[in-house]
Amino acid sequence: MTDVMTRTKDRLADGTRIDELIDVERREVQIRTLSDHELYDLEMERIFGKAWLLLGHETEIPNPNDFVLRSMGEDQVIVARARDGEIHVSLNVCPHRGMRVCRSDSGNLPVHRCVYHGWAFRPDGAFIGSPVEREKMHGEIRTKAELSLKKARVTVYGGLIFATWDQDGPSFEEFLGDMKWYYDMLFCRTDRGLEVLGPPQRFVLDANWKAASEQSASDGFHTLTLHQWLGEIAGFGNGDLTTSMYGVEVTSRLGHSLRCTHLAKKFEQVAGTRASELTVEERLAMFPPPGISKEMVPELMRNLKPDQLKLLTTTPPQVGNLFPNMLIAFVYVPQADGTVLGLIAVHAYVPRGPGRMEFVNWLLAEKDTPEPLKQAMLRESIHMFGTSGMIEQDDSDTWPEMTQVARGSQSRKVTLKYQAINTVGRPADWPGPAEAYDGFTKDDTQWNWWLAYRDHMVSAD
Amino acid sequence: MTGNTAVATATADAGTARRVPVGSAIYNGIVEFLYDEASLLDQIDLVAWGKTLATDLIYTVPLRQTMPLSQQAASIVRTTAHYHDDHRSISTRIARLTRTKSAWAEDPPSRTRRLVTNIRVTETAQADEFAVSSYLLMTRSRCESPDYHLLSGERRDVVRKTDDGFKLARREVILEQSVLGMPNLAVFL
Repeated sequence: MTDVMTRTKDRLADGTRIDELIDVERREVQIRTLSDHELYDLEMERIFGKAWLLLGHETEIPNPNDFVLRSMGEDQVIVARARDGEIHVSLNVCPHRGMRVCRSDSGNLPVHRCVYHGWAFRPDGAFIGSPVEREKMHGEIRTKAELSLKKARVTVYGGLIFATWDQDGPSFEEFLGDMKWYYDMLFCRTDRGLEVLGPPQRFVLDANWKAASEQSASDGFHTLTLHQWLGEIAGFGNGDLTTSMYGVEVTSRLGHSLRCTHLAKKFEQVAGTRASELTVEERLAMFPPPGISKEMVPELMRNLKPDQLKLLTTTPPQVGNLFPNMLIAFVYVPQADGTVLGLIAVHAYVPRGPGRMEFVNWLLAEKDTPEPLKQAMLRESIHMFGTSGMIEQDDSDTWPEMTQVARGSQSRKVTLKYQAINTVGRPADWPGPAEAYDGFTKDDTQWNWWLAYRDHMVSAD
Repeated sequence: MTGNTAVATATADAGTARRVPVGSAIYNGIVEFLYDEASLLDQIDLVAWGKTLATDLIYTVPLRQTMPLSQQAASIVRTTAHYHDDHRSISTRIARLTRTKSAWAEDPPSRTRRLVTNIRVTETAQADEFAVSSYLLMTRSRCESPDYHLLSGERRDVVRKTDDGFKLARREVILEQSVLGMPNLAVFL
């Protein structure tokens, strides 16, 4: 009954049409979207019950029976590797009486046994049995297959583990759409791929998950003010952050985006030469992508197409998102000694109620990155991103305030504006797919995020 | 553990290391050092706090994970971490907070109170260095919210006696939370 109602519901209790929360003509979003409980419940069904969600990286569970606990929306899941090496994602709720089956954040177990009544499950979620088998605690009404943990559909892309509850929905490739070409440049460019540098940092904040997620869709403007200190102290753009806001933003109606920034000026500063006069190899050696050593350059040349290499060495993606709640950072951080250190991080902004979210921060490097460089990346990532990160501590102080504001009876009618519209369009000779916007950062990427959000929230199937 | 091996480790072996008795001159000096430090941090005198740090400082805050009782050692994660800093990076953090006009995470600043208790001091292999374990409870009040953000943990320090007073040479803070309950660690522990 509830299920039927939520599936067909297109209005909130006060009569507001859900699709009208997002004013497509004026590119505005009502702030109540950040605090509305009813909307939140629908998001759990229509977005977190449907979309492909980031759960971790396969290097967190390298061996058979390894597992980690993660969340899909507010549902906790066991992400485990079975004996045959396959990765499975199962709801961490005992089908018997609803107890959490697994209670450790990570480990290695061939059998997950519920501590309440002893029902036992394999890493693939299959029900093994209950204690005193002949006394039939699990009865005869349900088959053992029916008593297994609820399974999500899983894919591993570039080592990243994604899952969805939508068994018959779009494939992960369809979900990525034409943005896949760009993500491949980041996640699928070396022979042995990425690895996590440890378990993720985790912290909760009193903010709606969308406050963080819409920003992850390549919000460039906030850098100028919220992260102004970078210009004051760290010398980005020689003190003027506006110079680093020129680039190319790529995005699609599926809500994904990446912000690519020009290296040309940096080549001039460092080498005194124009980027166009350098070969791809020379450019890669001068500004290696995050975690790529000189020795690894041939791997890049093997794994990427010439057009992808061209972008990676002239206008590489640095930050962006994957709808609905994943941030991607492949950031070039200039060091005091004149070199550039690359940092790799992905975040999941996990809903924990309308006014709460968990920030999960994985730090990564290529497996083949030399160990000293890996350690330098790890240290610098901790200094810049996540819990104590000097960049992101400013972000995480902002989102709770927006969420708090969104509760006021007058404040909630204020709208979020996305009216900085790119008028330059696609750069000449741009080799990549999807929408591409040249010039100064604009709001088109974030607006696509909200259009994708709207599509999910009004699709009533 | 990387860094200067000449510096004693913060986890002196309780079985062999000599305890510095409560009330002794060294113990009292270290207690005063920790109380003064808490005061500097709570008053947000970060430049003065920076002067109490040894130049070979290693400052870390490991992650915690929920693990079975039989695997408690693995509940402390020292690969990734909340903080993994040295003197230079801590100085950069201080500079951001004190010399820029836009460290918004702490401007306006949180009102904090660091309660430091259960102080135990042991000698180390270095005559001028002491392993100091203390409990920390930090209350953090931010803007108009009446709810405190709380953080508790055990500091495992190495404190060095110098001609210029005591200096902090190592700090590792073992927190209790696997998921922190505050929006960032824009404050020092």
